[in-house]
Amino acid sequence: MTAVVETEGLTKFYGKRRGLEDLTLEIHPGEVFGYLGPNGAGKTTTIRLLLDVIRPTRGLARVLGADPRDAAIRGRIGYLPGELALEGREKASEYLEFLAGVRGGVAKGRIEALAERLEADLSVRMGQLSKGNKQKVGLIQAFMHEPEFLILDEPTSGLDPLVQQEFLAMVREVRTAGRTVLMSSHVLAEVEHVSDRVGIVRRGRLVAVEDIAALREKAVRKVELHFDAPVPEEAFRDLPGVRELKVEGASLRCTIDGRPDALIKAAARFTVVHMVSAEPDLEEIFLTYYSEDVHHAPVGA
Amino acid sequence: MPLLVRKTLRDYRRALIGWTIGICLFSGMYTSFFPQMRENPDFYSQAALAKYPDGVRKLMGGLENITSGTGFLQAVVYQLFVPLLFTMCAVVLANRALAAPEESGTLELTLTLPVDRKRLVLERFAGLAVALLVVAVVSLAVLAILGSAVGLDVSFDRILAAHTGLYLLVLLFGTLALAVGAATGKKALAMSVAGAYAVVGYVVNALSADVEVMKWLNVFSPFHYYSEGNPLVNGFPIGDYLVLLAATAVLTLTAVLSFDRRDVGV
Repeated sequence: MTAVVETEGLTKFYGKRRGLEDLTLEIHPGEVFGYLGPNGAGKTTTIRLLLDVIRPTRGLARVLGADPRDAAIRGRIGYLPGELALEGREKASEYLEFLAGVRGGVAKGRIEALAERLEADLSVRMGQLSKGNKQKVGLIQAFMHEPEFLILDEPTSGLDPLVQQEFLAMVREVRTAGRTVLMSSHVLAEVEHVSDRVGIVRRGRLVAVEDIAALREKAVRKVELHFDAPVPEEAFRDLPGVRELKVEGASLRCTIDGRPDALIKAAARFTVVHMVSAEPDLEEIFLTYYSEDVHHAPVGA
Repeated sequence: MPLLVRKTLRDYRRALIGWTIGICLFSGMYTSFFPQMRENPDFYSQAALAKYPDGVRKLMGGLENITSGTGFLQAVVYQLFVPLLFTMCAVVLANRALAAPEESGTLELTLTLPVDRKRLVLERFAGLAVALLVVAVVSLAVLAILGSAVGLDVSFDRILAAHTGLYLLVLLFGTLALAVGAATGKKALAMSVAGAYAVVGYVVNALSADVEVMKWLNVFSPFHYYSEGNPLVNGFPIGDYLVLLAATAVLTLTAVLSFDRRDVGV
């Protein structure tokens, strides 16, 4: 099976400023690929290169087996821009019909069904849509022609939590149907529940591609344990993966790299009354990758 | 009609109605002054000569024979104000084809449709050409009807010839704005380039009879090909109009090729 996205040394400079450098990446058919990175890291640059909105400085990209310049393949892609601009006096429904027409039509009732699902009001003029409603219109146009490949740039921005859940359900349905999704985000929490793999991009470079399960293991987690009586610090010292240990009376704080197994077993000897484990923070994952970069750098130099 | 052309026209609709009304009102209002002018030929030609200093009068095309139907139509409609207004309309609409949507960000989604970039530019150009044609046809009809009502006594085929030139002239300036917008994505730049070319082209043409340098430069002025043949008197100056058309074709090609090879929206 040919890859849905295949890039080799894909590089984009805006004048002297680096947008993306040396991206080699493959996205397989049927997977949901989360593309993570802070703002300005090169996510949108990558996406625009795949859609031929901008042209690479060097390197190769193939999308659905074809050159991105081939206009015909864009009919098989659904795209939600990161900064979706919709304006004018045209009604959202008219605009969607226009887009559907250019893409060769969509199934009857499909637009209305999606609008109902996302609770979007399509009778509003585009210039008067709220940010959230704009995003909904953007999602409808991306999903409506049931494309083989969905490219969603920061899809959940501006959506309220209930609509976000509905959107994630739509992404899962697309995956179940065997189609492919590339979605970018700067928040891991937004993509981790639907993604099979994630790529992390930082300062224009892809620093890691992991599957979600592996990424979770690498994640640094803050953990807090409260006991019914003061505990001795020695019982928790030098446990594998436990760092920044701080024991104060009956409470313990630390961070964990990877599995919490050793900490849990050590804590099991005492009576645990309360436990808090924060979701791993993406920024901390970035920092792990970043510090790895720093460690490796002198060796190469 | 292709979907993108239809969509372009739909987007133009309100602006188009406004410009059409404006241009028709303007040329219609001036045309309706003609009976007064005809009643008092001596007074008005004296007034025209007295009111403007020599240089200004040259810039306004001489203002000779202002009391004959042909001279009057030339002076009040085809000489300066209507071409100016219509050119503004063309440049504003042309900017809405590529540069304005690029600056506002709406072009990005359009580009990701399964439409070749070359075709996109061509269809946007076609939308512009049709839109300007609508303004031209409506204003031609208004002028012809009003002209015969006030007894201008200029035959329709002469007005048609002059109006065709007007259409080709503004299409050229519109296409120039489209081409600059296609190449750079900057609407202020597109507007300045087209506006400056129109103003300089007009001045060069108006002064070409007296100033030697201007005569040479006049080869590059679209107004030269627009007015040289005096279509209100002589009918279609085919060769001159073909030059305007050829320049438009070259600019369209430039727009297509330059837009096809650059990054959009960065």
